[in-house]
Amino acid sequence: MSDNVKKRDILVIPGLGGMVLSGARPLLAILLAFTVSAIMIIAQGANPFEAYWAMLRGSFGSVAALANTCVRAAPLLLGGLGVAFGFKAGLLNVGVEGQIYVGGSAAAAVGLMPLPVPPWLHLILAIFAGFLGGAAWGLIPAYLKAYRGISEIVVTLMLNYVAIQFTSLLVHEPSPLAEQGAFFPQSPPILPSAQLPILIKGTSLHIGIIIGVVAALILYLLLQYTPFGMRTRMTGQNPEAARYAGINVRRQIVIVLLVSAGMGGLAGMGEVLGLKLRLYDYFSGGLGYDSIAVALIANSNIIGVVLSAFFFGALRAGAGKMETAVGIKTPIVQVIQALAVLFVIMIGFAEYTRAARKEKQQKQLEEVSVDGP
Amino acid sequence: MDHTSEVSALKMVGITKRFPGVLANDQINFEVKAGEVHGLLGENGAGKTTLMKILYGLHQPDEGEIHLNGEKVKILSPRAAADLGIGMVHQHFMLVENLTALENVVLGLPAAHPPLLDLEPARLRFKELTREYDLRLDPSTPVWQLPVGDQQWLEILKLLFRDARLVILDEPTAVLAPKQAKQLFQTVRRLAAEGRAIVFISHKLEEMKEVAERVTVLRDGHVVGTVDPKVAKPSELAQMMVGRDVFLSRRERKTYPEKRDLLVIEGLSCLNDRKLPALNNLNLTVKSGEIVGVAGVDGNGQRELAECISGLRQFTSGSILINGIPVDGVVKDNSLLGYVPEDRHKTGLVLNFTVEENLFLKTFAKFPYTKRGFIQWREIRKKAEAIIREFEIRTPGSSVTTYHLSGGNQQKVVVARELSSDPALMLTSQPTRGLDLGAVESVHKMLLSVRNRGGAVLFISTELPEVMALSDRIIVMFKGQIMGDLVAEDADVNRIGELMLGHQEAMKTIP
Repeated sequence: MSDNVKKRDILVIPGLGGMVLSGARPLLAILLAFTVSAIMIIAQGANPFEAYWAMLRGSFGSVAALANTCVRAAPLLLGGLGVAFGFKAGLLNVGVEGQIYVGGSAAAAVGLMPLPVPPWLHLILAIFAGFLGGAAWGLIPAYLKAYRGISEIVVTLMLNYVAIQFTSLLVHEPSPLAEQGAFFPQSPPILPSAQLPILIKGTSLHIGIIIGVVAALILYLLLQYTPFGMRTRMTGQNPEAARYAGINVRRQIVIVLLVSAGMGGLAGMGEVLGLKLRLYDYFSGGLGYDSIAVALIANSNIIGVVLSAFFFGALRAGAGKMETAVGIKTPIVQVIQALAVLFVIMIGFAEYTRAARKEKQQKQLEEVSVDGP
Repeated sequence: MDHTSEVSALKMVGITKRFPGVLANDQINFEVKAGEVHGLLGENGAGKTTLMKILYGLHQPDEGEIHLNGEKVKILSPRAAADLGIGMVHQHFMLVENLTALENVVLGLPAAHPPLLDLEPARLRFKELTREYDLRLDPSTPVWQLPVGDQQWLEILKLLFRDARLVILDEPTAVLAPKQAKQLFQTVRRLAAEGRAIVFISHKLEEMKEVAERVTVLRDGHVVGTVDPKVAKPSELAQMMVGRDVFLSRRERKTYPEKRDLLVIEGLSCLNDRKLPALNNLNLTVKSGEIVGVAGVDGNGQRELAECISGLRQFTSGSILINGIPVDGVVKDNSLLGYVPEDRHKTGLVLNFTVEENLFLKTFAKFPYTKRGFIQWREIRKKAEAIIREFEIRTPGSSVTTYHLSGGNQQKVVVARELSSDPALMLTSQPTRGLDLGAVESVHKMLLSVRNRGGAVLFISTELPEVMALSDRIIVMFKGQIMGDLVAEDADVNRIGELMLGHQEAMKTIP
């Protein structure tokens, strides 16, 4: 296969020559992001090496740090998987934020109900409620996209605002989910039987991250090794060819968008049942949008999403330590994250224009040989 | 209506244009007088488009000169062409759908009171012109709301607005209903009567007779001749257009005593993408062991016919039976129908998929390629490698992205996939377009193999020599109907040419 390394998988950097890419592209982008951020750190009078070293210790330096990284990575992983999976069918689900709220609310509703079932079943029902809540929210854009041809990007994005206000309504009295007489809009605590089990005592590491990794494996197998996955990828790459091959493209779009939104719902479920243990107003605070960044950096590669979610989790976990150690404020993390996404897009764009130019040259040669009417 | 003047409005002398490997225009002399409608006739690839692109400044000629009203000019861009009074109505309209009719007309013209965009003077002129030429066009309607026929009028109005003296119309009736076409001819004649020079490109003989004073016929980049369409016999024109030696040799033919009807089409009608009738009550039967070639000028319903048979296009009436099974929705049974679509990049392949994925694009979910819900990639690869060897697809391996293969080998992937399921009916649409000779040969061989083992092939192509070389029977399509149905042995290229141009008498001469 060595001679099959394709030219478009190679990034040509002026002065550095060709670089074999696919996994290397996001790594390069992250490296560039850290480099540019280092300049800002220097401008604030700190040593970037010290700052990054503190960040590394804060995210991987101890069991507690590692647990913190995992806790922060969990919702990004689940949400990022949702975005990446949708993208495989050519769908851009930017409504993960809304799906987090609806999924979290649905999970909370079940988690607050004293059901006459064994505790393990209560937990499973609450987890499923989270998935179904998100999926139900995805049903609206899925139907509109598949049967009415309306852009899923606009619909999912707009529904985010609806979902946020909807959750707000739920935690304010007189909603049955709101805590009576609380001076902060919130629900009562989730029943212990519906709380996600804690993996390491003394930390807040709940099983959300395991759910995420298992979900990634399932989605990966689904995409690569099942007819359903093949249909999904075909729909994303060339819907017309998919139709020609006898695939019901509309149905595929609906199913994939439902699963994608369901993943967003699971992300919200994890936050509510595993970390916050109540339903709060604005409890996500942008996790859904960060999930898009996670998927972008991974180029929507399922395994890549696992890695990039951990990377984002580590950045957040380490930011506090960096602040206490060298005095750089935590928002630098947002800067690094944004720069990494920008660099991934820029690298992708550079490759795209190069490929497009080549294709155009080739087309011109072909066009003349089939001089049409 | 005699406006002949001494100086030609347009004179193209010795125009030659070479593209890599193709001589698109070879020493073409072409002349249009003011007040004349001059028809331009030729098959696909005869060089009409190249010649007009040169005139419109989109291509530069390698040799030759262009004279406008006796003056030598160099036309370096469409803008320069417009400044010289050349206007063109392209086959695919150049309109901005979201803008109004009026905005489209003034687009590219200097504003009346810069820097403000004052459309009022233009609106008055618009109304004046529509009244003068009896066009029912409202200046404030957005173009996307206009029917196709009105969009055509808007294109012509654009030229009037700029007072184009040389007007090029590229197959202007392709999108029009017969009644609208009549109105167009009237307008075209009126434009000529005003002293404009008109170049009228068409494939339809009747139209030429009705509207053109002279017709110049192009073939393989040469001018074959210029004639008066009212005097010239249809057979003469057809021969000028297609009359060349058939360079592909005829194949050996076998006869099958027991013939079954593998494809039966009755009363088929359907609409094209623009919601205009594309097929009109079409009947066709294809039997086992025969290759039926479908000839015709591009855009006479061939594509829609293929899409109807494969189930990709809904038909408005009629029925299609493949081996006795009615077509209702996309045909999924690969042993029933193999279909090589017209556009391999858009429809036939997923370019970003590997060769093996593309070879099993339709069968990946079937046993033994999927077992217990999982795709058996090892099984697929084994079979894919066998297919690659059998059909001599040149690729570094079965897991290479199809994008990186040459056009011929990409097409072989499509044909191999469709053949490997041993279909009763093989339907191909322009299967050799853009391929080199070697690839053409192997695609032909593949199709012959279907026929030779008792299957049926419906072979759609605008390349007449290819149709004649490969087919046992030839049908000619014109305006969504079958103009003629000929046994290949008796088929004569000139007669087919006449049928392609919609000349019905050609059929009547057949005993």
